[in-house]
Amino acid sequence: MKRHLIGLLILQHFFAISLTAQDVVTTTDQLIADIFEQFTAESDEAIDYETFYEELLSVSKEPLNLNTVTREELEKLPFLSDTQIENILFYLYRYGPMQTIYELQLVEAVDMTDIRRMLPFVVLGKAEKQLPKINWRDVVKYGRNEILMRIDRGLETKEGYRLSKVGNENQDTANSSKYLGSQFYNTTKYRFRFKDRVLFGVTAEKDAGEQFLGNTKKGFDFYSLYAQINNVGKIKRIVLGDYRANFGLGLVLHPDFGMGKSSYVMNVIPRNSGLKKYSSTDEYNFFRGAGATLEFGKMNLTAFYSFKNIDGDTLTGNFTSIYKTGLHRTISELGKKHNIHQQVVGGNATITFTNFQMGLTAVHTSFNHHLIPQKSVYNYFYFSGNQQTTVGINYRYRWHKLNLFGETAVTENLALATINGFTVSPLSTVSLVAIHRYFSPEYDTFYANTFSESSRVNNETGFYIGTEIRPFRKWKFAAYTDSYRFPWTKYTINAPSTGMDYLLQTDFTPHRNLSMFWRFKYEEKMNNFSESKAAMTVINPILKGYLRYQLVYTYANFTMKTMIEGNLVKNAKLMSGYGITALQDLSYKFTKLPLSADFRIQFFDAKDYDNRFYTYEKDVLYAFSIPMYYGSGSRYYLNFKYELNRQISFWFKIGQTVYSDDRETIGTGNEKIIGNRKTDVRFLMKWEF
Amino acid sequence: MKKIVLVIFILLVYQVLFSQISGIIPSGNSIASTSVSDSRSWTAFNNPAMLGYVDKAEIGIQYENRFIIDELSTKSFQAAYSTQFVNMGLSFAYFGYSLYHEMLLGLGFARNFSDKFALGVQFNYLNAYFSATNEYKTAFFPQIGLNVSISPVFNIGFNTFNPFQINITTEYIIKRIPSVFSLGTEYFFSKDLVWRVQIDKEISSNYRFASGFDYEMLNFLKIKLGAYAGNYLVSCLGLGIKTGAFFFDLNGELHPLLGLNTFASVKYRF
Repeated sequence: MKRHLIGLLILQHFFAISLTAQDVVTTTDQLIADIFEQFTAESDEAIDYETFYEELLSVSKEPLNLNTVTREELEKLPFLSDTQIENILFYLYRYGPMQTIYELQLVEAVDMTDIRRMLPFVVLGKAEKQLPKINWRDVVKYGRNEILMRIDRGLETKEGYRLSKVGNENQDTANSSKYLGSQFYNTTKYRFRFKDRVLFGVTAEKDAGEQFLGNTKKGFDFYSLYAQINNVGKIKRIVLGDYRANFGLGLVLHPDFGMGKSSYVMNVIPRNSGLKKYSSTDEYNFFRGAGATLEFGKMNLTAFYSFKNIDGDTLTGNFTSIYKTGLHRTISELGKKHNIHQQVVGGNATITFTNFQMGLTAVHTSFNHHLIPQKSVYNYFYFSGNQQTTVGINYRYRWHKLNLFGETAVTENLALATINGFTVSPLSTVSLVAIHRYFSPEYDTFYANTFSESSRVNNETGFYIGTEIRPFRKWKFAAYTDSYRFPWTKYTINAPSTGMDYLLQTDFTPHRNLSMFWRFKYEEKMNNFSESKAAMTVINPILKGYLRYQLVYTYANFTMKTMIEGNLVKNAKLMSGYGITALQDLSYKFTKLPLSADFRIQFFDAKDYDNRFYTYEKDVLYAFSIPMYYGSGSRYYLNFKYELNRQISFWFKIGQTVYSDDRETIGTGNEKIIGNRKTDVRFLMKWEF
Repeated sequence: MKKIVLVIFILLVYQVLFSQISGIIPSGNSIASTSVSDSRSWTAFNNPAMLGYVDKAEIGIQYENRFIIDELSTKSFQAAYSTQFVNMGLSFAYFGYSLYHEMLLGLGFARNFSDKFALGVQFNYLNAYFSATNEYKTAFFPQIGLNVSISPVFNIGFNTFNPFQINITTEYIIKRIPSVFSLGTEYFFSKDLVWRVQIDKEISSNYRFASGFDYEMLNFLKIKLGAYAGNYLVSCLGLGIKTGAFFFDLNGELHPLLGLNTFASVKYRF
């Protein structure tokens, strides 16, 4: 024990020195964006950044008390791996409450980088589990309000806004497919929070091209309202209005961001966050109704109900697909709006012991029309009908240093999906993870989102292995391999196929103001060879290799980021192409003014669409941009944040992309811009009171 | 059933030719077949230098089932005996079924030179049955292995199986016997956690890259995790259980196209 204490004091000394100076990541905003970027850098799927950001920001406002923290609370920190969460809980269980935050260094598999990331989100308090009752007078008196208003606009006029002139004989036909509204995007949000106990909010949104005041619409196109109350007696949580539900490993129900393959190789298990408010602007991926979670000792029981109108074309009486974009800009898009009534009823029962947790989740969905996809070979097994029930059992078991987890689910047609794996940290410097998944081609359910290669959880079997090794101070190596198979055909793959992914990332942090990494990724996946003359479609492998180097350096009020990335792709026609991009970021925080500014200049040269790049860029609050580029050209932007006073802040961003590959237009259809320049402007105001 | 066996057999022959997985050479206890530098375990027809680390004597049997098809299984036996000057090993493997089978017999000798390095040589005798001519054909070839301890926690192993590319020639066909060169490393993070990396090259096939971790979580239980890649990426998971002088190993490999490959062995150490 004495040795333990002396060790702690020494650690505290060094730790304190390292924390007094400015870190590579300077603000919580930047830290969250940095974490999100690492998760999404390799992904070409749209991930809901608003929810991700808002949740982490709310944790930073009400930091977690490490001495009373639960697994569910720690799972709010996506940068912590399952092994790290287990190790923190195990440490607290074994040694009792922490005396100082520096004790985190004694937890296995948690290093200084992790601790720095945790700092804005954790505190040490008394180890009291009992929460005080909610006093409604305090709620009114001490609750925090926030109003946000954001306006975006593209400066170049898109084709959809160019109406045919009066007198043109085809005027009506030509204009019928054009956008009805203005070029402005606007979102307005009101938020209220009292600690982490009472949450309330309203969101209103109008997408660019949607009408605000006119013959088809009066007001915003999308409204959302939520209320959430936590920990009132046996009621652990009540949600009213718009909410999300995440249970198990995501085979049944997980509309939130599910951890996939990324450079956080150990963070691959979707988090079981239960019911929670929904405050984002995605117009499809949420429930609307009510739900509650009750706590009976070790058992949590949840029930929820949702009724929502969703979009789809029901002219024939049935619908072939759900229209999920939430865009209602044209007459045709408006014709699909809210045609389908969707009812969802579901529940979950979870029992938790010290080393063991088990849960049962069931969801039943019904529509007032039949969903009948336009049948093709690849979607032969997709769900068809107007009612669906899915049931799943999930477990988690800690045995010595081994954390076993898994979920198995079936739909009413007895199609099976199962995902199982383990994480283990044999030494504080080495962590390992293995996940096996099998989703039968017949398994197709609406809200599944788990670890998989495809975004749709069906028709896939695979094995993922990842490791994170910190052999020396300042160095970290992370690697994964994933080998998978699609036993049935897929969209653009007209035969059963296989694929594989590899990633190797080396992080080096020589000192607190400088960090860099090298990331190499290779993937091999099949695709149709469209130019084949063979009677049956020939499928060929697409081979992609990427290499990225990134360096972040802070000096005084400056932060600089340099990134170079190259890729080599051999496409299904067996033709090779390359892409290269480089960027330089410069951020400065003024000392005498409440102003900070970010500037970027980037060039890209990507021969084909296959060589495209996704690059994260800084944005206004709650927005996150990962624009995609191919062709050749450059991009630059300026992003400002100005804090007028403690209550009111402004953000402003202007960015322009210029193509140098002789293209005369950008985009297609209504999104077409004449010229080779695309400029976007954003403004956001936040008022806190 | 016969059609399935035929298809899998053709695929397996393809694998033999292009991905260097030979039916007659047992995969070994080491996960992802990273046995060339595995200084804690000797497996029949893998690196004979590891025979030099056998303390007294041991015997073992192995059964490897490919893709849940009995006809594609390999059964093997091994025995090792340590003397003052040299360690000796006897190995036998049988692959196939009545219409096609191969038998391999090996006699190996190895010595550990003061834990600095170990050297081994094995003489192998292959006997293959060809149903078309209803006859057995034989071949004789050596196998040479070396393991060098660079430091107490780091080893480099090298092995070559059939280095002189001996083949079996019949009236109608030439049966190629795999000629494999393997190089691997073994690193001990601690006495409980070992990391191995290996590269194999069968003379007329693609390279095979393999890596795996062995973690002795409890005194009696070992967890093994790894992967190898040739034309396909194959993930591997294994368990090792020790009870008294008995060692049980069970490894599974998930080939993305062909399915599950399992390996089980029992070893007794005197």
